[in-house]
Amino acid sequence: MSSTFALARPRMRKGTGMILPALVLLLAFFVVPVALLLSRSVTEPELGLQNYRELLASGTYAKIFFNTFLVAGLVTLITALLAFPVAWALVIMPRLLAGLLFAIVLLSMWTNLLARTYAWMVLLQQTGLINRTLMQFGLTSEPIPLVNNLTGVTIGMVYIMLPFMVLPIYGVIRKIDPAILQAAALCGATRLQALGRVLLPLAVPGIASGALMVFVMSLGYFVTPALLGGTSNMMLAEMIAQQVQSLVNWGLGGAAAFILLVVTLSLYALQLRLIGEPKGTA
Amino acid sequence: MKSRIFALAAAGLLASQAAAAEDMVFTSWGGTTQDAQAEAWAEPFTAESGINIIQDGPTDYGKLKAMVEAGNVAWDVVDVEFDYALQASNQGLLEPLDFDVIDRESLDPRFTSDYAVGSFYYSFVLGYNPAHFSGDAPESLSDLFDLEAFPGKRTFYKWSAPGVIEAALLADGVPADELYPLDLDRAFAKLDTIKSEIIWWAGGAQSQQLLASGEAPIGFFWNGRLTALQDDGMDVGISWDHNITAADALVVPKGAPNKEAAMAYIAHATSAEAQAEFARLSSYAPINLGSPELMDSEIRATLPDAQTAVQVNADMAYWAEHRDEIGNRWYAWQAE
Repeated sequence: MSSTFALARPRMRKGTGMILPALVLLLAFFVVPVALLLSRSVTEPELGLQNYRELLASGTYAKIFFNTFLVAGLVTLITALLAFPVAWALVIMPRLLAGLLFAIVLLSMWTNLLARTYAWMVLLQQTGLINRTLMQFGLTSEPIPLVNNLTGVTIGMVYIMLPFMVLPIYGVIRKIDPAILQAAALCGATRLQALGRVLLPLAVPGIASGALMVFVMSLGYFVTPALLGGTSNMMLAEMIAQQVQSLVNWGLGGAAAFILLVVTLSLYALQLRLIGEPKGTA
Repeated sequence: MKSRIFALAAAGLLASQAAAAEDMVFTSWGGTTQDAQAEAWAEPFTAESGINIIQDGPTDYGKLKAMVEAGNVAWDVVDVEFDYALQASNQGLLEPLDFDVIDRESLDPRFTSDYAVGSFYYSFVLGYNPAHFSGDAPESLSDLFDLEAFPGKRTFYKWSAPGVIEAALLADGVPADELYPLDLDRAFAKLDTIKSEIIWWAGGAQSQQLLASGEAPIGFFWNGRLTALQDDGMDVGISWDHNITAADALVVPKGAPNKEAAMAYIAHATSAEAQAEFARLSSYAPINLGSPELMDSEIRATLPDAQTAVQVNADMAYWAEHRDEIGNRWYAWQAE
C-alpha cells in the first residue's frame, strides 16, 4: 500500500485541488452526521459516559461484540483459504479461461445484494434445496439447520466477501515472476515448499489487504446477518439499527457506532504498520 | 431584458410552489399493506380533492424523530404502531389532530387519541399448517407453547411490540383481565421454554413464507396474512382463541409542511367507505364503526371484528409508557 503512496506522491501536489469535491461530499454527508451521532452518545439521555458504561457492563452487548468479531474472523479466514487458489488460478490459467473465471467472480459482486441473500435463504432453509437433496440421498434423516444461525451468516457472508479477497491477492501474485517457482524447484523445493516458503510469503501483502478489507466490511455488515442469522448471533450493526430505528435510543446506538469506528480505525492503523511499511522499504 | 428573465423565473418559482402545495407525503410500511392503502385511500382521495399523494416508506421512528428535531419534516401523514403513536405524542413529536375535520365520533374509541387515530387494527392469531399435525390440531395459545404435543419450529413476531409477551403470559395461565401490568419475568421464563424452536419473522411476507414452506408449521401471525394465504388456496388452520388485538395509527409529525391536507387525508382514510375498502383488500379490521355494515358478510366473518368474544385487547397506554423498557429487555433476551 505504501509503495503506491510512494509512486503517487510527486504528482500529488498538482492534483490536490481535484479531490476537493469528494472531500466536501464526505464532510457534509459522512463526517458531519457521524460526528453528530457520536456527540449524542455522550449527551443522551444526559451529559456523560453512561451509554459506554451500559455497553461495556452488559453481558448481552459483550456477546454481541463477541459475535461480531467471531463472524468477521471466520469469514476472513474462510475467504482467504478459498480466494488464494482462485487468485492463483486466475494468474496461471490460459487467458480465455481466466477471463471467464474473472467474469464469474465479478458477476456475483455486481448482482443485487438482497437478491443474493434471499437466494441463500431459499437454498439453506429446512425445506430448501440443499436439505431436500441431502435427505433424498439419505445422507441425513433430519434437515440440518443451515439458516437463522451462525452457519447461515458465515456461508452468506463468505460468498459476498470472496471477490474482495480474490482481487487484492490476484493483484499481488500476478506480479510475481513465475520463474521464481521454477527456481525453487531447481533448488530442490517440493511443490508444497515452493508454495509455503516462496509463493505465500510473496503474496502476504495481498492477503493482508484483502483480509483487512473483508474483516472491516464484515464488522459493520447489516443485511446478510440480519436475514440469514438468528437473534442469538446478532451482530453490532443490527443492534445499532435496532437502537436507532426501533427504540429511538440514539445515545446507545451512537456509543456502539463509536466503538465500532475506533476498532476499525485501529485495525487500519495496525495494518499500515505491520504490512504497509516493511513493503514500502523493501 | 434582465428583469424579464427575472419575472419569468419568479413566475416559474410561484407555479412550482403552487404545484408543491397540491402534494403531500404519506409514509407507511411498504408491501401489500401500503399497496392497499394507496388503492383504498390515496387514489380516491386524490380524485376527490386534487391533492396528489406521494407514497414514501418504510416508516422509521428514528427518522421521524430526526425530522421533527431538525425542523425539517418531509412526511405529512405517517402510519405507525399505535403504542408508538401514544409515546411519540407524549414526547411532543406529533401535531394534535383536527377533529373538526376528522369525525371522531364514528371511530372505534379503542384506537383513538388526541394525536392519533387508528389506521386499521388486527389480531395476532395462532396459525398452523394442518398437514403437519396428524393428531389433534392446536387450539389454544398453550398449544403454541407446548413442544411435546406440538413439536417443531414455531414462528413469532421479531420486534418488540404488543402481542407475543401477552401470548406467553396467557399460555402460562394468566387470566386475560390480569395481564397488566405485564409480568415480564414470567413472560420471558415462558418464552425461554420454546426459545430454541423459535424462528422470528420480521415482516408479514416472511411470516407467510415460513408457514407455507413448512419451515415453521405453527406460529403467531397477523390475521390478515393467514387469510391471504387461504385466499391463495393454501390450507391454513386458524385458532382465534385469545386473539390479541393491536393497531396501527395515522399521525401527523410536528411541523409537517401540509397540515391541512394531512387532516383531510386522515379524515378520508378513516371514513366508513375507505376503511371498508381497505379491510376488503387487506383482511385487517376497520376502525370506523360504520364500516362493517358496508362489507360483504363473507369478508366480515374473516375479520377480528367477528371474534370479539375470545378477544384480548393489548393495552396501548401501558405499552406507550413502558415501550423502551420492554424493548431493551426484549432485544437483550433475544440476543442472549
